[in-house]
Amino acid sequence: MISTGNDIVSLNAINITRTKQYRFYSKILSPAEKTLYNQAAFASIPFENFVWLLWSIKESAYKYLKRIDPGLVFIPIKFEVTRLLVPSRYTFANFEGIQTEGAGFGNMPAFKGVITFGNNTLYSASLMYRELIVSVVNRDENLENIYWGVKLIEENDASYQSIAVRKFLIDRLQHILHLDGLVMGKTPVGMPVVLNGGEELAVAVSLSHHGRFVGYSFQLGDS
Amino acid sequence: MTRTEILSELKKVFAPYTTNKEMLDSINDETDLIKDLKINSANLVDIIIDAEAKYDIEIDYDSADKIINVGTCIDLIMEKLNQDK
Repeated sequence: MISTGNDIVSLNAINITRTKQYRFYSKILSPAEKTLYNQAAFASIPFENFVWLLWSIKESAYKYLKRIDPGLVFIPIKFEVTRLLVPSRYTFANFEGIQTEGAGFGNMPAFKGVITFGNNTLYSASLMYRELIVSVVNRDENLENIYWGVKLIEENDASYQSIAVRKFLIDRLQHILHLDGLVMGKTPVGMPVVLNGGEELAVAVSLSHHGRFVGYSFQLGDS
Repeated sequence: MTRTEILSELKKVFAPYTTNKEMLDSINDETDLIKDLKINSANLVDIIIDAEAKYDIEIDYDSADKIINVGTCIDLIMEKLNQDK
């Protein structure tokens, strides 16, 4: 079964003071995960960014696995990031323009991670800009077949985010698949699906929004 | 503390994080925090921390799976309050 999972964290929307407090981050990070931050490569990255980077990886993994196990509940600390590599010569960059999209991460400065939940092992890639963190996960270490996008939107209210992220995804899918009239639907447990003439497309999609950022990831099926 | 009293206090806990303010006045046990109150999942830990402070309880990660709808939140808080007696 194909699946996909993504997450976005708007760094302008987080509470930095609270994130640094033990009672907060200890509900997200395990003691072993906290030691990942001691790597020299993380020296230039604020701790609050590290916490939310792991959060975004964990939520992406949760979304990926929930498509397979609809009864799954998100308990961040039960998802364990066991490896996290900082891109070489990493420096903070601004999120330029309105949107960016890709398939895989090529030569982009992505944080590469490994995350486990029970017997499941997933691989993650994350981009960290000054304004946001975006993550995607995949069962395969190769993420080149994972399509993703991030967009800055005008407003941050829930209904605007919802409409904007769906349009963003549909526009990309229609372009790639050379189709018109695709619409979004939901499974009984609320997982997003894409419909073509009422039929569900063989594509796994994941949506995320936070603050004024929205994003998607998808993986195409065989048919 | 009764369920009604906890429900009343929970509205204040949810208020800073919901974008669906109109629904806050009419929440009941079935109200889903994410789907109905439109609370971003990134704020669920904030809600746990705020509830811990308000009721002087500790909510460990094994209990966090009960932060789904208003009814399960009330159940969890009542359970923790009774543990502390």
